[in-house]
Order: sequence, then C-alpha cells, then structure tokens
Amino acid sequence: MAGRPPLPAAAPVRGSGDGGARGQYDWDRLAARARRRRALSHAALTGFLVLASVPILLPYFWVLTISFSAKTGGIESVVLWRACGVLIPAVIAFALGRILLPRRRQRWILAGFVTGAAVIAISVAIGPYLHFENYRFFWVADIVRDLPGRGQATHYAQFPSVWIAFRNSLLLAVTQTALVVVVATLAGYYISRFAFAGRASFLQALLVLHAFPAMTLIIPIFLLMHWIGMLDTITGVILVICTLELPFAIFIMKGFFDAVPWDIEMSAMTDGASRRQAFVKVVLPQVKVGMLAIGVFAFIRGWEEYVFVRTLLFEKANWMMSLYLWWVADDIMGVDYGIVAAVAVFYIVPSLLLYLFCQRFLVQMSLGGIKG
Amino acid sequence: MARIELSGIRKEWGEVVAVEDMDLVIEDGEFVAVLGPSGCGKSTTLFMLAGIYAPSAGVMRFDGSLVNEVESRDRNVGIVFQSYALYPHMSVRENIAFPLRFKKVPDAEARRRVEAIARLVQVHDLLDRRPGEMSGGQQQRVALARALVKEPQLLLLDEPLSNLDATLRLTMRTEIKRLQRQLEVTTILVTHDQVEATTMADRIVCMSKGRIEQVAAPAELYARPASLFVASFVGAPPINVLAGRAEGAEVVVNGLRLGRVGEGGAAGEVVLGIRPEHIRFDAHGLAGRIDQIEPMGRETLYLVETPMGGVRVLEGGAGVRFALGDSVRIGFRPEDSLLFDRESGALVPGARVAPPAG
Ligand SMILES: Nc1ncnc2c1ncn2[C@@H]1O[C@H](COP(=O)(O)OP(=O)(O)O)[C@@H](O)[C@H]1O
Ligand SMILES: [Mg+2]
Repeated sequence: MAGRPPLPAAAPVRGSGDGGARGQYDWDRLAARARRRRALSHAALTGFLVLASVPILLPYFWVLTISFSAKTGGIESVVLWRACGVLIPAVIAFALGRILLPRRRQRWILAGFVTGAAVIAISVAIGPYLHFENYRFFWVADIVRDLPGRGQATHYAQFPSVWIAFRNSLLLAVTQTALVVVVATLAGYYISRFAFAGRASFLQALLVLHAFPAMTLIIPIFLLMHWIGMLDTITGVILVICTLELPFAIFIMKGFFDAVPWDIEMSAMTDGASRRQAFVKVVLPQVKVGMLAIGVFAFIRGWEEYVFVRTLLFEKANWMMSLYLWWVADDIMGVDYGIVAAVAVFYIVPSLLLYLFCQRFLVQMSLGGIKG
Repeated sequence: MARIELSGIRKEWGEVVAVEDMDLVIEDGEFVAVLGPSGCGKSTTLFMLAGIYAPSAGVMRFDGSLVNEVESRDRNVGIVFQSYALYPHMSVRENIAFPLRFKKVPDAEARRRVEAIARLVQVHDLLDRRPGEMSGGQQQRVALARALVKEPQLLLLDEPLSNLDATLRLTMRTEIKRLQRQLEVTTILVTHDQVEATTMADRIVCMSKGRIEQVAAPAELYARPASLFVASFVGAPPINVLAGRAEGAEVVVNGLRLGRVGEGGAAGEVVLGIRPEHIRFDAHGLAGRIDQIEPMGRETLYLVETPMGGVRVLEGGAGVRFALGDSVRIGFRPEDSLLFDRESGALVPGARVAPPAG
C-alpha cells in the first residue's frame, strides 16, 4: 500500500481548516480498511470453495462409506446420514478455522483437533457397521461365483481376477503414456523448430482432429482393427487411444517448445554439443512441465478408457478396470452395491495417487523458475 | 587465438539478403567492433562465424584453414548472445562448466578452470545460484565466463551491453576491454552503439544494409568517414548534413555560395557535412539566430538557424552563453568540412569548403 498513491476518492481529507500542509491522508484508517477488505474477500473465497466442494466430495465420500459398510448388497441409508452428520460439521469447522484464525499455528492445532474429533465420531457413529467383506474381490478370483445363490448357476468362471483387469489397465495406461509423451515431444519439437511445407495447415488439422468426438469413429476403427487383425488385442486399443490422444498432446508440446528460445540451443551447440545433445541436455529440461502434463493426461485417459475398451475387446483375459467395474455393476441377478463401491474405490486410487504426486511436482517446478 | 579471414561472404534468406559480399581480415588478438543500425546483418555475420548459420557464398578461414564446413561445436568459438542464453535449469557453476563437459576435461581440472574464470569475471560468489536469481549484469558476467572457459580462439559478443543500465554498461565496457587485453583473445563485438564501438575496439567495421561501409580505427572513422552513412552514424550529437550543389569553384547550399578549397573534384549534387563540435561562434562568420538550447552539462548544444539551414553547434566549457533568439555568427575551419557525393554517399577525398563570410 505504501508505494502506491491512494485514489483521490479513497483519501479522506482530515481537518480541511488546518491548511492541509500535513496529514492530508489518514494512513492508519486506509490500512485498516485494506485489511478489512482482504479479510472479507478471503472469507468469501473460502466460503465459496467449501460450499462448492461439498457436493463434489460427498459422492466420493459416500462411495467410500458404502464400500466399507454395505452388507449383502444393500445400502444402509442410516450409515450414510450418520457419516454426513460427521463430515459436514468437520468441513465447516475447517473452513471457519481458516477464516477466523489469524495464525498458522492455531489453524494447525484446530485442524488436528477437528480431525481427531471426526475420527472418534465416525468410529462411534458407524464403527460397528464397518467391514472389509466388500473388498474380497482382491483375493476371490471369480467374484460372481462367490455371490450367494448365483455361483451355482454357472460352471465356468464368469469373472477374471481383478488383478488381471488391473494389470491390463496399467499396461494400457503406462504404455500409451510412454508412447504419447515420446511421440508428442519429438513431433512438437519438430513442428516448433522447423519450417516445412504445410506446417500451418498441419497445426490447424491437429486442432480440428481433436474437436471431433471420438465416438463418431467407432465403426470405422472397429472395421480397421478387424481388417488388420488387431481386434481383441490390447496393443490395438493402445494404438487407437494413442492416435486419438496425440494431436492435442503435440499441440501442447509445440507451445512449450515455442517458449524455449533458439539462443539456448545455438549456445549449447557452440559450447560443443551436437544437435541431439543440445536437445536432450538443454531443451528438454525446459519442457519437463509440459511432458509431465501430457503424461498425466495420457495416463488418466488410458486408465479411465471405457468406450474403445468395450468395443474392441471381448476376451475376459483382456478386461480392463473400467470393464470390470461395468460388469460388476451390471450383473444379471441384481447388483451388489457394496462390491461396486469397493471396486470403484480401488479404481480411483491410482489416478488419485498420480494426481497428488504430480501436483506436488508441478508446483515445485513452477516455483523453481522457468523464466530465462 | 586466430586470424580470421572472410572473403566474399554472403547470406540470404529467400529474397532477403542479410549480408552481401563481405571481405574482412581480423588479426590475431585484435578487438574488432561491428557497428551498424539494427537489422544491418551484424548478428548474421557473427552467427556465420560461430557456425550457427552457413554462408550462402564465400570463404571463411581461421588461421588460413577453410572452416566453412566445420561444425559449430568444433570451431572452439565463445559466444555471448544478446539474451545471454544461459541455461535456466543449471546453476551458474554448471552453466560455466557446460562447454568443458564436451571437451573431456577431467573433473578436477574443470572445477579449477570454472573457479578461475568465475573469479576473473567476479561471479565466484554466485556459483550455486540459478540464472533466474541474478541481475542482468551478473547474468552477463556468467555468459562471458561460459564463453571464455573453453579458451576460445575467437570470442564473439552480440550486443553484450544492450540489456544493462547505463552505469553498469560503463563498468562492463571497461571490464570486457581489460579481459580481452589480458587474455589476448581475438574478439568481435557487435553493437549498434557507436560509443561502445569506439571506446572498446581497436578497429571498427561499420555496416549498413548488409554491406561494409568502412573498416577503420575509431579515430579515423570519426575524422575521415568514408561515406555519408558512416559520418551520420558515428559521432554524437550527429553531424550537420546540408544538401547542396557543386558548381565550379563553389558549393551552393540553400542559395548560399561557399568557396571550395583543395583539389577534390566533385560535381553536381553533393552533401556538406560538418560536426557540431567543429562549428564555433565567430565574430566574422555567418549570421544566424539561436533557435534552441540543450545544456548537456559540460557542453551546450545550440540549434542555430542560418541562411544555410539549421545547424547544430556544440560548445564546450563555456556554460550557456546565449539565450533563445540571440543573434550569433558561426564559422568553421575548412579542414573540418566533409563533402560527399549525394548519389553514392561516398566521401569526395580532399574536397573542402570554406565557411561563408558574414
Ligand atoms: N533466421 C532468419 N530468417 C530470415 N531472415 C533473417 C533471419 N535472421 C535475420 N534475418 C534478416 O536478416 C537481416 C539482418 O538481421 P540481423 O543480422 O539479425 O541484424 P542485426 O543483428 O544487425 O540487427 C534482417 O533483415 C533480418 O530480418
Ligand atoms: Mg542483432
């Protein structure tokens, strides 16, 4: 505030009869007003974030609660309401603490206190209902067979082990992430650095391609996969998803490379580096954030992929997590919501971990300073 | 350290000719400045020497050997880019050591050389910082250290001072000059600032539109500019330029007849050039009126309206002697006058004009 002259309107004239040689501005009052305004907008922002996050968090919280509490397929609504009864006051207490407590230490103490109270309240309120039975798909290979009253209906395994689906999903996500990052990085560099005939239209095409909904391509892709004999192979699905993911990733990477000055590369080459060494040692480190970003997108895209997985894969050995979840939820003789919720929780965890890990990394990177 | 020879060097991009038929020899250990306005092809010349651009035509020799085809990384040229081009993800130490990584210098030796060069350019206290955490002047020193650490045979500086503030520019000017003399490395400095060029370099290559206008020592460039372009570009405040016609033994400027002195044989359209500092107030000179006054501290610049046209007069040491509108008389010595052919812009050697009497 000190360095900036206040607006005329914000300058209350004190004692205009004094001759105005001194004390034209009441700095203390202006500072107090600025403090008040900051506090108010801080409170408004925090309040908004809390209000907005409750409806987003609640379904996840419920899924978690259901997965640990549902018995014999049914949901006990009393458990959900009791859980809410603990969660919502806790969130509000957190928010109030952030708004009202000025010191960071005080906030930490409050946070610890609220968390402890919430844990105790939860264990008192719904503790007796909690169990791990819904997670038995971890060790029971064929979950359908194990369901009371249904397993006898079939003589062969209806479900593969969840670990097969998990392995397939991981394979799909990791492989396609690696492919997308490598190809998009090289292509983005080339497009950013080299003028070639049709560069502008190529760039436009990249964006237009991304604008088409992938669904419209399902039938042609199915036929294509059939003809080249890649139907019902995980490799086929990986290639399809890579192809669809690449245009946007290339576009993003091109932007990152555009921001790296030529000078740095030339400098590296006069310093004795070959073109490839200059690229690897000097240019790539400048676009790490971009690679990380497209990598995270590609992984999540591969992990959550459902449409093409559903269309192009038939064998049970090729199931992905999304298919597993779908089949669990779609079982013929009534749904076991406890298991559905438990599978959903298992399905969410890797994305969540990846996100938490990379978010910390991304923040660090931007603090580290990319500006040259 | 190397002797550099350029002959018939040319660089074009499609229609644009950035450098045209450049012939230049730079002696071993010499400090040469390439001076010219923005866009005249200075950086292009530098980048061709560094091997970043390949010349479209011509021959480039280092110590007599043809280097046209030699890759940038094998030329052992140190270059400081206008933007410094430091590697943002590396510490200062890593930046300076970067060229040594490709020379297979042993670690201990590399560390010693980095510290020595850092001490020389006075960044030894900053070795663990990142470029983003340093001021422009410090970044510039680091860039210089990185260019020097490989003991280059040729040091290229592309407008190294243009991003610094005025005081720092002065310090760095002295320092670069001292370093160059100490290391005796052949150095080419590119600049659009004539003061930088004249204060630092042994010789100046003055360029315009991709062509060399003149190669000369600073004093000669100032005293005997080969063309009107050089005369206008070198010297501050800029030289007075008066268009006229050579008619027999006289030069007619704006209807005013000036007598010719000396044997120079110009005819037709000419341009008369006289530096402001060579015009003096003279009781027997041409009558005029003070139109504008710019006190510059030690000196005062007057704009005097005369029958020849507006003339800048730079007077030193006397304070502001006149007021706006004062009547004055001005004159100059014939040997300070320069006559150029208006068509070609070339100096007419030996041609002088005498100042008009009042
Ligand atoms: N990579 C390039 N592609 C096309 N034209 C260029 C390129 N680099 C420079 N030029 C052109 O060449 C001319 C000289 O540029 P440059 O050497 O950078 O000038 P200076 O360094 O003297 O300001 C300019 O007209 C510029 O537009
Ligand atoms: Mg330049």
